[in-house]
Amino acid sequence: MIYLDHAATTPIRSEVREGMIAVLDGDFGNPSSAHGWGRRAAAHLEEARERVADTIEADRSEIYFVRGGTESDNLAILGHAAAVRHQGGTPFAVASTIEHKAVLGAAAEVANQGGRWSTVPVYADGTLDMDALDTALASGATIVSVMTVNNEVGIQLPIEDVVERTSAHRSVSHTDAVQALGKVPVSVRDLPVDLLSLTGHKIYGAKGTGVLFVRRGVDIAPLIFGGGQERALRPGTEDVAGAVGMSIAVDLAVQEQESESARLRGLRDLLQSRLEGEIPGLRIHGDVPDRAPHILNVGIPNVDPEALLAGLDLEGIAASAGSACESGAQTASHVLEALYGRLEGVAALRFSLGHSTTEDDVIHAAEGTLKVLERMPSVETPA
Amino acid sequence: MKNATKSQRILVAMSGGVDSSVAAALLVQQGYDVVGATMKTFCYSGSEMSSKTCCGLDGIADARRVSDTLGIPHYVFDVEEDFTREVIDDFVSEYARGRTPNPCVRCNSNTKFKDLMKRGRTLGCDGIASGHYVRIDHSNIDSPALYRGVDTSKDQSYFLWGIPTEMLPLLHFPLGDLTKQEVREQARALGLVTADKPESQEICFVPTGDYRDLLEKRLEARHPALEPGRIIRLDGEVLGEHSGYANFTVGQRKGLGGGFGEPLYVIEIRADSREVVVGTAEEGGSPSVEISELNWQATRPPNGSPIRVQIRYRAPAVSATVHSMDGPFTLVFDEPQQAVTPGQSAVFFEGERVLGGGRIERALVATKAC
Repeated sequence: MIYLDHAATTPIRSEVREGMIAVLDGDFGNPSSAHGWGRRAAAHLEEARERVADTIEADRSEIYFVRGGTESDNLAILGHAAAVRHQGGTPFAVASTIEHKAVLGAAAEVANQGGRWSTVPVYADGTLDMDALDTALASGATIVSVMTVNNEVGIQLPIEDVVERTSAHRSVSHTDAVQALGKVPVSVRDLPVDLLSLTGHKIYGAKGTGVLFVRRGVDIAPLIFGGGQERALRPGTEDVAGAVGMSIAVDLAVQEQESESARLRGLRDLLQSRLEGEIPGLRIHGDVPDRAPHILNVGIPNVDPEALLAGLDLEGIAASAGSACESGAQTASHVLEALYGRLEGVAALRFSLGHSTTEDDVIHAAEGTLKVLERMPSVETPA
Repeated sequence: MKNATKSQRILVAMSGGVDSSVAAALLVQQGYDVVGATMKTFCYSGSEMSSKTCCGLDGIADARRVSDTLGIPHYVFDVEEDFTREVIDDFVSEYARGRTPNPCVRCNSNTKFKDLMKRGRTLGCDGIASGHYVRIDHSNIDSPALYRGVDTSKDQSYFLWGIPTEMLPLLHFPLGDLTKQEVREQARALGLVTADKPESQEICFVPTGDYRDLLEKRLEARHPALEPGRIIRLDGEVLGEHSGYANFTVGQRKGLGGGFGEPLYVIEIRADSREVVVGTAEEGGSPSVEISELNWQATRPPNGSPIRVQIRYRAPAVSATVHSMDGPFTLVFDEPQQAVTPGQSAVFFEGERVLGGGRIERALVATKAC
């Protein structure tokens, strides 16, 4: 089996597992408790917070542990919208067209709750429509959410520019950096973004672990209510083991980012070159200068995407048709549609590389793909 | 790596119900290289569709769990477009015409097996299987024969007459020799999560059982099928009003209101005038039936041949004679039949063997000929 779906999720690395097990097995206390068990748990939690903060160059008071990337995106966008409403304003969320559903869904929910939302186009060359962004900002956008690296095609978006324009309008900026950490540099000192979302399970951490960075002075209201955990922004007894695992994963991902990115880029380019020339009409999606190193998204004409993925699975190759969605069923990708329009009869295939990926894997995956394609009849034109 | 002797690869349709789960399990036991597939037939997201039927998202999840237990791959194929066009649109337009469609037949004939075949080919499969209670005999390689399932209370041959003949050589029906009880026992013995799942009785895209909602959504406003009309006797006597002829099925007694002195049944739906014609059992008897959209899985019997025909699911086959000199294909019943319902299937048998079938186009009403 060759696993080339690291953008969907990754296995837990041993350092993370060991860190988590130490907490799960021994230091099981509730960080809010006044006794020794509580203190030890609280120490783990704050140490984890500090580790994440140091790694992305934030202050530890700016790091909030949440339960995954979707929650982090939602807390950023809807939490800020709630804060705007509390101050008597009307929230207006703006997101790029190629955001993850966690961002688009949250932005749409801002409108459901009586605010507004709109999108800013991203073009096939990887550029974002800055005029549209400026228009949205001029008409009262309260938050702008643009991802650092797109999860389906690997495009790196011009977030520096987005953050600069957003700050100039005194609006709040958010970036979903879930696919970026460990692949491209992520530092909230270099990038003056207000809110930044991370998840553990894309960087060899555990599912259900995540972080929201909230720059000091930025207003976010909680979405769930209860105790005072995470400074009352995310109540509920803390997942200490998860936070510890998350912090180790973040730390290692950033430490290894430069060397691992170079390695993955080489392998990704090898995979691309093995497919190019062999598949007539092959399209490379996200082939822009600023491109994350771990994703190769190709379009293959006249092929049924579901059958292609199933065929690859039967050959022992795990890839994906864009992004993983409910129950393994595949639906058309909103990202590809936003970038390239409707791709009739084109199967989009995403290979995403990671720690375990070797040169052999990539070569075999290319061979396997060609083998499966050989067996596939062209898609019939609908009668 | 594969063994030198490559085993046959079979694509099995898995709905997430107990039957198709066991069908897959039996094929695994028989040494086939089994691949599971669930057809996603309509959009679930944001719909009010209940999850209790086999085809819902729970069905997909269960099919995946069973596949995992059996150690076989499983894929979900989105056939919504085909299914909507071939099955749901047909369902709606049949009711709009005052007929009673049979969407399961339509699905098996026009989408399910064709779609499975198409996918199977790309996955290198040599055969297609499902958990229907029917038997197939491949001993005559050139013309395999379909038979009723051994469990007479579960036999599903009525739903499979429309499978294109050229597909028969590729089909496997592992449950044909089993009873439902045996299937459940197998499922329990194998520890399949679907072992005690209740039967799905409703039409998968009408899980509430109330198809009128669907018609209201998919027909234009004030479509005659949903507008009031008269309930009349054959002689034109008006008995009352109804709230739309799409609520009626030929042969039904319920819903007519009582107090007529004798039991009355729907014997005809006249879409043109929005009239629902009711009459006694005697008045509703049809001496013959006109059948369209024929599909023959065996040689078509010549004119004048005796034939056995089943005109309703769970009704026994009855004797008739082929009568189609030059007009449409017509069967003359030995005895007049009740509830010959346009839109339903007429399935032809020779003993237990399915010869083919068609859609009931028109019942000839006894007294109308006078």
